[in-house]
Amino acid sequence: MNKELLIEFFTEDIPARLHKNAIVDARELFLKILCKYNIEYENVEAFVSPRRLALLVTDLADNTRPVSETKRGPKIGANEQVLNGFLNSNNKTKENLEERDGYYYLNIEIPGQNITSLFADIIEEFITRMPWQKSMHWYLEKDKTLSSYWIRPIRSVMCIYGEKPIEVYIKSLGVTTGNTTYGHRFLSNGKICIKNFTDYEAQLTENKVILNFDKKKTYIESELSQQSASMGLVVKSDERLLNEVAGLVEYPFIYIGNINEKFMSLPMEVLSTSMRVHQKYFTLTYPDSNIAPFFATVTNVPITETMKKGFERVLRARLSDAMFFYKEDTDVTLEAYANRLSNVVFHEKLGTMAQKIDRMMSIANSPEEHRVIALCKADLVSQMVGEFPELQGIMGRIYASEQGEVSEVCEAISDHYKPAGAGDNLPKTFLGSRVSFFDKLDTLVGFLGVGIKPTGSKDPFALRRAAVSIIRLIFNLPHDILEDEFTWYIETLITAYADQGIALSSSVKEYVITFLKDRLIVYLSETCPVDFDLCQKIVDKCDFSNNEFKNIKNEVIKVDKLNKQPNFDVIKSAYKRVTGILNNFVLSSENFKYSGNNEYMKKLYDKLITPDVNFENIVNISNLVLDACDNVLINDADDNIRNQNFTLLKLYINLVENVFPTSLLTL
Amino acid sequence: MFPNNSEKIDDSFDHSPSKQVKSFQDIMFGLQKYWSDYGCVIMQPYDTEVGAGTSHYVTTLKALGDDYWNVAFVQPCRRPKDGRYAENPNRTQYYFQYQVILKPAPVNPQELYLKSLESIGFDLSDHEIRFVEDDWENPSLGAAGVGWEIWCDGMEITQYTYFQQVGGIQCSVPPVEITYGLERIATFIQNVETHFDINWNGRTDERKLTYGDVLKRFEREFSCYNFDVASVDILLNHFNDYEKECNKLLAHNLVMPAYEQCVKANHCFNLLDARGVISVTERAGYIARVRALAKACCSAWLKSLQEGETDHE
Repeated sequence: MNKELLIEFFTEDIPARLHKNAIVDARELFLKILCKYNIEYENVEAFVSPRRLALLVTDLADNTRPVSETKRGPKIGANEQVLNGFLNSNNKTKENLEERDGYYYLNIEIPGQNITSLFADIIEEFITRMPWQKSMHWYLEKDKTLSSYWIRPIRSVMCIYGEKPIEVYIKSLGVTTGNTTYGHRFLSNGKICIKNFTDYEAQLTENKVILNFDKKKTYIESELSQQSASMGLVVKSDERLLNEVAGLVEYPFIYIGNINEKFMSLPMEVLSTSMRVHQKYFTLTYPDSNIAPFFATVTNVPITETMKKGFERVLRARLSDAMFFYKEDTDVTLEAYANRLSNVVFHEKLGTMAQKIDRMMSIANSPEEHRVIALCKADLVSQMVGEFPELQGIMGRIYASEQGEVSEVCEAISDHYKPAGAGDNLPKTFLGSRVSFFDKLDTLVGFLGVGIKPTGSKDPFALRRAAVSIIRLIFNLPHDILEDEFTWYIETLITAYADQGIALSSSVKEYVITFLKDRLIVYLSETCPVDFDLCQKIVDKCDFSNNEFKNIKNEVIKVDKLNKQPNFDVIKSAYKRVTGILNNFVLSSENFKYSGNNEYMKKLYDKLITPDVNFENIVNISNLVLDACDNVLINDADDNIRNQNFTLLKLYINLVENVFPTSLLTL
Repeated sequence: MFPNNSEKIDDSFDHSPSKQVKSFQDIMFGLQKYWSDYGCVIMQPYDTEVGAGTSHYVTTLKALGDDYWNVAFVQPCRRPKDGRYAENPNRTQYYFQYQVILKPAPVNPQELYLKSLESIGFDLSDHEIRFVEDDWENPSLGAAGVGWEIWCDGMEITQYTYFQQVGGIQCSVPPVEITYGLERIATFIQNVETHFDINWNGRTDERKLTYGDVLKRFEREFSCYNFDVASVDILLNHFNDYEKECNKLLAHNLVMPAYEQCVKANHCFNLLDARGVISVTERAGYIARVRALAKACCSAWLKSLQEGETDHE
């Protein structure tokens, strides 16, 4: 009879930010393991909460699926060792071998096996293969050995199969499995004894543990919004923080506390970041999105007066620090900070941030652009950004505004980091877009020029992101940000690097263009969306002159649409055939009149002389062209006839090229 | 000499257990008692400047090798850059840690820790204690581990780490390190706002001495020394001398004295850093030099253990 299997690893606190992925990883891994052991089941579910990782398999068959297969081994006459290896790995002897087509074969028959004998192996395998981002091992004193790697020490393991506790010794953890676990660290008492999964969930709830992550998260979310709504406030949505706090508590409690008025003069971004990063507090706003002097925190235990005082006191200390940084920073001008950028390394092979700024200057045009470039990186050496790196650009904007820069310059300072990749917003200002483009192109030219490029999934300097951002800046802005030829920017940057004594590869320009083309193909094929091969063909032909570059997206869409029209193949094949015949023929007279008497050519002439340029008509003309090519000797020995034929066909080519992009016709 | 009966002695102090204020020193005594009862060696602070209890040789060197080792002690710490001329009552260049090393880590260190808080007067039902992921790393010592910051009502009061490597060497018997921030814990227990307000000696009369009373001047003068006055050329020479001496002592197989030179070099580097004379690029270079010394000491230590040398008879 099919039964349920419940396994729980009771562990010290699993880092909160890992819960969501761990649920997916654990389930996938366990499915793989069940499959490997030929175990049949209905469903697998995984659960992660701060102190436990649990696996539930429903409707598990008593026996594994019997296996019968024929395995091919080494060639007959192969080395004895190889043959023995083959036999040993399959637990067989020479007598079992069969010889066929010059090879040894083994018939493997594995009968169904009672799965209870496999639990220890399955658990061991799960522990060793679970892909934690960063794991540790600990000492097993009884066995005088080190444990397997795991995220934090595992203290006990529960294994219940068909409502019966399974007792097996897990060597890599030094524990024997059983049917007991523990509830909430502070809100429950001692061991609890579990019968099955339903009982497990119920007893955990009773002992103040919400096992299901999503349930816990939804509960937090609704409690947060309800409690803040009752005060006329709105919670600033923050999915990452929500996931993190859900991972920090076994059972959530919510408290809304006060922010001391004296800190409310700090910019909202500073308040919000300080609360989120240091305290994992949510920001609350009024319905008009202005920040309110309150915070919300999620705790693991019911909140007492002492705790409330504590939460507010620690926030006061944090915000006092922020206030101190803000005051210190505004005592200094952004220019003074910018002067310190010669001490900040951009990359060891690419000089300092000050040098980067000089290079960006070399491709800038207007005085406003120069102003933004001069100030846009200054906040990197401010105290606030030192404390909260994620405020880069934002502090620059705020400080610029404090020192009276014009608003366009202020906006552009924070804007120049945008877009950070495919999903991020584009800059709001044209000025910001230009500087963002300069910054990202300088990064690409530099890194590719010294041979640093992404490999596989590793892209530590976010070069792919920079390339996609450049592409988006060029395509998606209402104004054209390329005031000069695209290749001019690359060349000027290369010169700027050389002037600073930074040696780049002599092929850097091609590297940059190839790199951008690769990203462009991916970008176009995903966003248009258009077939990857088609994009590749069109992009490959692009020479990155501004017109081509800027139009490439429209081109791709147009080509794709046409290409999907029925009968377009007719036009393509006619075009291809005619261009093959005509070679480099040049039209001689404007006012051409066909005076020959070939029926095919005459028909063609009638249609071409006043062509109706809708798609169907061009298909018809193309059919006539193909007919003519099949039945007429175009390359006639008579000069006059040949010339007339060629002229007619050339008119056809002109018509088609007028209507369709060449890239499409030659596809 | 004991005072004779004719002299009047002050016996008015209250040593009943119900004394109202749990002083700063009471907290230290409480932890000493708790971990002593557990069976730890109660060590004394390292008598040279260190940035953390981790640098005490009873942590660093003894974390390596297979021997059982439980130790606990108060360690005054020096972080020259953290000084604020005694103007910020919660941020100082000199402060106190309570350091516990349990090697191997037992099966219940989290529970032991929570009980230790109770033993010094924490009501766990009136505070929220949580374990927040924080993987600790000390680049100068080539040491790293995984663990948590322990928060009490939103404030970090302890660092808890399962060591995985020290001096760049994998720990064969990974210890757990529990480092209490004594000032922060005292602010909770005494319910005071700042470190300087902490009651140090437990008296409530005119003889009460606060943390500020005891250390403010020290803080002010050392901030001036660290930031403004320390002689850069002398410190640079010291750094080079300590480095040279460390290598010489290693050549003589004197591991513990060599390690002490390494710790002193590290403090010199911290002072130079506070003086603001070390650029970003140089910084990495100095850290690498200290780490090289630490690694050499740790390797030499491990080698001596493998050759059968022990430091206890």
